Amino acid sequence: MPTLIIDDRKIEVTNGTMVIDAAEKAGIMIPRFCYHPALGSAGACRMCAVKFLDGPVQGLHMSCMVEAKNSMVVSTTDHEAVEFRRHVIELLMLNHPHDCPVCDEGGHCLLQDQTASSGHVMRRYSWKKRTFRDQYLGEFIQHEMNRCIHCYRCRRFYQEYSGYNDFGAMGIANRTYFGRFSDGSLQSPFSGNLIDLCPTGVLTDKKARFKARRWDLERAPSICIMCSLGCNTVVSSRYREIIRIEARHNRDVNGYFICDRGRFGFSFANNPERPRNVRIGTTSSTFDDALKYASSKLLDISKKYGSKAIVCMTSTNASVETHDSLKAISRNMNWQNPGFFMDRFQQSKITAAVERLKKDIAISLKDVENADFILATGADPVNEAPMLALAMRQANRRGAKIVILDPRPVVLPFKFEHLSQTPHNIDSSLHGLIKNITENNEFEATGERIKKSLHPAIICGTEITGLSTVNLTADIAVLLKAAGKKAGLFYLMQGANSFGAALAAKGSMPFTEILERIDKGEIKALILIESSFPYDFSDQELVKNALKKLELLVVFDYMPGYILEMANIVVPTLTHFETGSSFINQEGRLQKTCPSYQAGTPLSQVSCGKHPPREFRKDIPGSGAKAAWEIIHELEKAMTRTNSQNI
Amino acid sequence: MTMQVLFKNRHPERIATLEEYCKSGGYEALEKALKKYSGSEIRSIALDALLLGRGGAGFPAGKKWMTVADNAPFPRFIVCNADEMEPGTFKDRVLIHADPHQIIEGMIIAGYSVFAERGIIFIRSSYENAARILEREVSNARQAGFLGKNILGSSFSMEITIHRSAGRYICGENTAQINAIQGKRANPIQPPPYATEKGLWNLPTVTHNVETLACVPHIIRNGHDWFKSLSRTSTGAGTKLYCVSGRVKNPGCFELPMGTRLSEIIEDHAGGLPPGYQYKTCLPGGASTRFLPKDLYDIEMDFESLKRAGHRLGTGSVIVFDQKTCLVGATLNMIDFFARESCGWCTPCREGIPFIRDILFRIENGEGKEEHISWLQRMSKFISNSYCALAPGAAAPVESLLTYFEDEVREHISQRKCPFIQKDMLS
Repeated sequence: MPTLIIDDRKIEVTNGTMVIDAAEKAGIMIPRFCYHPALGSAGACRMCAVKFLDGPVQGLHMSCMVEAKNSMVVSTTDHEAVEFRRHVIELLMLNHPHDCPVCDEGGHCLLQDQTASSGHVMRRYSWKKRTFRDQYLGEFIQHEMNRCIHCYRCRRFYQEYSGYNDFGAMGIANRTYFGRFSDGSLQSPFSGNLIDLCPTGVLTDKKARFKARRWDLERAPSICIMCSLGCNTVVSSRYREIIRIEARHNRDVNGYFICDRGRFGFSFANNPERPRNVRIGTTSSTFDDALKYASSKLLDISKKYGSKAIVCMTSTNASVETHDSLKAISRNMNWQNPGFFMDRFQQSKITAAVERLKKDIAISLKDVENADFILATGADPVNEAPMLALAMRQANRRGAKIVILDPRPVVLPFKFEHLSQTPHNIDSSLHGLIKNITENNEFEATGERIKKSLHPAIICGTEITGLSTVNLTADIAVLLKAAGKKAGLFYLMQGANSFGAALAAKGSMPFTEILERIDKGEIKALILIESSFPYDFSDQELVKNALKKLELLVVFDYMPGYILEMANIVVPTLTHFETGSSFINQEGRLQKTCPSYQAGTPLSQVSCGKHPPREFRKDIPGSGAKAAWEIIHELEKAMTRTNSQNI
Repeated sequence: MTMQVLFKNRHPERIATLEEYCKSGGYEALEKALKKYSGSEIRSIALDALLLGRGGAGFPAGKKWMTVADNAPFPRFIVCNADEMEPGTFKDRVLIHADPHQIIEGMIIAGYSVFAERGIIFIRSSYENAARILEREVSNARQAGFLGKNILGSSFSMEITIHRSAGRYICGENTAQINAIQGKRANPIQPPPYATEKGLWNLPTVTHNVETLACVPHIIRNGHDWFKSLSRTSTGAGTKLYCVSGRVKNPGCFELPMGTRLSEIIEDHAGGLPPGYQYKTCLPGGASTRFLPKDLYDIEMDFESLKRAGHRLGTGSVIVFDQKTCLVGATLNMIDFFARESCGWCTPCREGIPFIRDILFRIENGEGKEEHISWLQRMSKFISNSYCALAPGAAAPVESLLTYFEDEVREHISQRKCPFIQKDMLS
């Protein structure tokens, strides 16, 4: 554990820490452009120069290139270091277009900050500015190459970190160009991270272009619900509309990055079709009236057919709070247990996975990065959980062997061994593997590799695999653990809160069974809460016919769809961007989102292009929505009230 | 005529054949090395012979071979750096065109000393003729049994490939070259790990200049004491190929004892300056070395003496300037080259050199200001903090221009024009 002195502060760091990181630990932020903790040292920008006053290294050096060693004395404020950094800024600004007023990065631009802090004001270079032609890089990323300061972050992330090759550096000297060979959409599903990484405005968010400055935005920490990994994000919104989503650092989950689906998949919250008003039938109503109406209807049905003729249905994407309040209302009202899953099969698999995921073998994405052998069964990481593919690539870069046991043509941004087995044969392959680990048998190559590894990670998807596969993979992990390895088990699940749903789903009916019971006439009232299962079900006619048989269909949702038209009562709900809600990711990690903005119809949709709106009103247009769990609570209260009135 | 070692078989307009080379004692050293010496013995012979890398840095070749650990992984690589692009330097081209087999033999022996069985000659793309010569002669050597499996009945095998560069100055830098051979961008890599530990495909890689490798067979054949005796100075060893260009009567590449005095190289071998011209200064080792002041005209041209005087021998390519040549213009010309050839990795080089070019351009064209001198001084000082050695090399002529010829620069500024351009020259 080296101990060094930086700016008169004594700092103890772990072996192999770079001086720039050591300083950051002590709260000293050394200016930098090319250095990024995830991408490592490059030594390209020369911005992080510090003066080594004493110790094994002396003189002016880049703090990102020197490992912290004992007895080092470092000064970040030494005159020579400050002068050199000032010089570097001047050089970086030689060809910069100074177009901050029209640049989207302005306000959260590293170059802008560091230029201002260096005191650079006058360009002394007299030659014409170097210019480049910009490229079309797809619908998500705007390219503006003239602003480039050549920190190589983009290339290093795109090619080295994420493993795609259609974007890179071309040319030499100060004509070095970062782009594609020709115009076209970026191929990497992680390309959006270039926006976060670029320290200036070369690569900016096209969707957020010209919409706001950083200080205009309402920003809040959030969680991505596009898959089960629960990556951490920051949501920025303005005028009741989400502008952009950025990655939020979480060492154990997503690290510094998120995938493009998580970054750009927020349009559902801004959807103009989104239900904004409470409705009874086709007429709009107030929240209280709707709940009163719903409770009286529900009590009628309860009296007529018994309380078990009523069921609530939500999904694996709804929050823990929603799940919990549904369980509570169903129990208190003596309704059927609420439904959480699409079908019995899925429910049993995920429940089994949750049961098998014990604390000692459950691993995070960070642990996957550190694994030295990975076996992924029935998983297509890029499509099911993109950030897992990125984590696996990091493991691969550190030398891990990766074996995929999957019938599909899995494509991943690194080299791996694909054992293509039919879903039917996956189990027997796993059996063979277990046999090989315990004895010596077929699957020798893979078995041998597992035996040699110290940190094997076993990944199992729950989409195409069977219940037995879920158990077998857990068996392998337990077996490896028992053999003294730091073995880990990592499940993939559908839905951001599958884990939470499985915890709550004991004795509950899945959606397919609810449909059957409606068909049989056993269920007369259905309360659908933020559930996409009716739309996902393959036989849409069957769903429609079943829903028509209901006496009462109540929908609490933030997504538009035909079911809302069929519903007797519609109450709009809030997305997780607009309400604080919790989700449990596939490794059992409970994470909370914070509300980013007050929900309502976006200003761009109410003002008809006029800005600011010319009419005055007390309320926020389209602000009738409430959090799903809140509506359920209110419903329960209303029902108790109506019940006591009737008595 | 002094003793010719490397140029023994140099004929005008003709390349020495394999037979000629063998007749003059060629491949005897290889046989001797394989049969008589172990790898470590060859390494210590090279160290004792004080064979310094001829590519410019002057690092002892034996020492470089010793950094390859005995338990280092296989296959190991030996790379011959024939990417000669330093302005004013053409010794490697002359050497390949004169007697290519001594390079091949040197590579095999060097390979044997570190048990590297893969040889790569990385050659500049514009040296297409030289590349073809090497390709032909490598296949001749293979047919004669000097390359391939179990060379001369020993257990050592080796193959040599000719790799043409995509053609950039930075590809001559050791670590950038390693990237280039692997098909990556030719950006240098800052050690550690050193290339001899983790080079090509993370395997041990030893890179040598053409001339260094050409010396190896002669050392093995005649012993290290003989090699040391070739030099005029005790700090140097062997002969050196000096390329002389610029304002001399008889420019060319001369093989002279290491440590031959500069005055002797210019006057006796290059024929001195043409009538009417007087010696002003020279660059002793290509464009990335400092201008030599007039009082060092008699300096012994070896690595140590120049180092002691605060200069570098570099590639030993003397570019001579006369009293009528504008040094600001000459420096601008060189800086133009370096600005074009920067690899684009680090800021002081990528942006700093064009900035220097801008200021020199303004001074040369009569738009110079007094403050420009301090700008240049500041920039050539800070450029030493760049990623690789190219940028400090590029700043060397600028820095020495300001040190030794500040008056000339000031004259440009005060006269608001280049004092060397006469009115009649413009018309």
